[in-house]
Amino acid sequence: MANDVTCETLRENGAELALGVLPGRERAEAVAHLDRCADCREYIEQLTLVGDGLIGLLPGSEPPVGFETRVARALTQASAGREGRRATHGFGRLRRGFRGRRPGRVRLRVAAAAAALALAFGFGGWAVGTAIENWTSSPPGPADSTSRLLSAELTGVGPDRPEAGEIYAHAGAPGWIYMSVDLDDAGIPYTGEISCLLERTDGTTVRVGTFPLHDGYGYWGALVDVDPSTLSGARLTSADGTVLAVAHFETAS
Amino acid sequence: MRTVYTDMQRFRFPVGRLPDEALLSGLATGDPELAVTFVRRFQHTVFGVAIAVTGDPQLAEDIAQQTFERAWRHAQIYDSRRGSVTTWLTTIAHNLAIDAIRSRRPEPVAPEDLDALLGVVTDTPEQRALADDASARLRAAVAQLPREQGRALVMASIYGMTAQQIADWENIPLGTAKTRIRTAMAKLRTTLTSPKRGDHGQ
Repeated sequence: MANDVTCETLRENGAELALGVLPGRERAEAVAHLDRCADCREYIEQLTLVGDGLIGLLPGSEPPVGFETRVARALTQASAGREGRRATHGFGRLRRGFRGRRPGRVRLRVAAAAAALALAFGFGGWAVGTAIENWTSSPPGPADSTSRLLSAELTGVGPDRPEAGEIYAHAGAPGWIYMSVDLDDAGIPYTGEISCLLERTDGTTVRVGTFPLHDGYGYWGALVDVDPSTLSGARLTSADGTVLAVAHFETAS
Repeated sequence: MRTVYTDMQRFRFPVGRLPDEALLSGLATGDPELAVTFVRRFQHTVFGVAIAVTGDPQLAEDIAQQTFERAWRHAQIYDSRRGSVTTWLTTIAHNLAIDAIRSRRPEPVAPEDLDALLGVVTDTPEQRALADDASARLRAAVAQLPREQGRALVMASIYGMTAQQIADWENIPLGTAKTRIRTAMAKLRTTLTSPKRGDHGQ
């Protein structure tokens, strides 16, 4: 970040950050500070609990008649559809766009939209912390329309480099990464925390967070500065540092 | 996930007694009974958040349905260490509702709605106080805030208004709006992080 946020500044804006109403640039700078300041992270987590508690004070209300049945049916049908796809195609529909060397443009855009949607509603943030979740949830400012999207296939580290999911990196304001991981198909039904490291062209790496896998399967996203001129790849490692999957970025659109 | 369900069937465990986390995990099995139970358990809370933020029953229903669909789709990233299933769902519903009203209205809140909502979140019937001590303390702390701080807090935390929007709405300087939010949140944080009274000797 161009401007370095101090702990004092963070404390001034912390309430707005925790409530998800801090404007774009200030948000990004504050989150960058949180990445390197454990005390401020704890402070924001406490404020986020307050924000969660306030939402929890809202009274319940009965939805319209038939709501329960309609929604349950939709979930059940969606489950059946997903199971069908998994049985037929393995991990899922997104991967099919990466089977060739050049992913299809239309499918990639669909996938990117899904990734952005997941982040926009805080799913990625839930994985990295509730403060970040609020940050990602409702950005007051518009996204940067000139931003770039990078994508890559995640592959296992075995000799035949089995497919293990895909990863997207969005260079813009805000920048973000999103990945879907299926190590089970790569023969690694790993359950536990894994770390994501981004690799730069100069050989350095930056750890962007951890997230859980269940039977080798999981999604994760996070807001992170993405420089397409220096981002070269990504690495997923287990808790003991074993590299489980790698990705090498190419410009997707 | 399926193991949970299989065992549940074998022992005729009533799905209505499944813990929230197990029920969420079980959604992936596609079992209709689990889906109905999940929706039934949380629909009152989820719809309550949606209707409180939007004030529009049709929009709130759409948001509530989206909330359940997104929860189902992303159930595998739910992390119980970050909070309860209820909190996770209300966060999703709240985010969806905020996004919906931002895209539909120039002003996210009507004056009468704001005052009514402030009254609702500071309402302290005895059964609520007994049911959830943390919520009761938070509710009481909000009630003790100066009214202008309470309004700023509700506008930011419930309606997702930025400090600038609050400043414009209240016709006050931006710095004053930020101070009101910060001061109110600091008081509530102190309330939640301070030791509970009466914990000992009971």
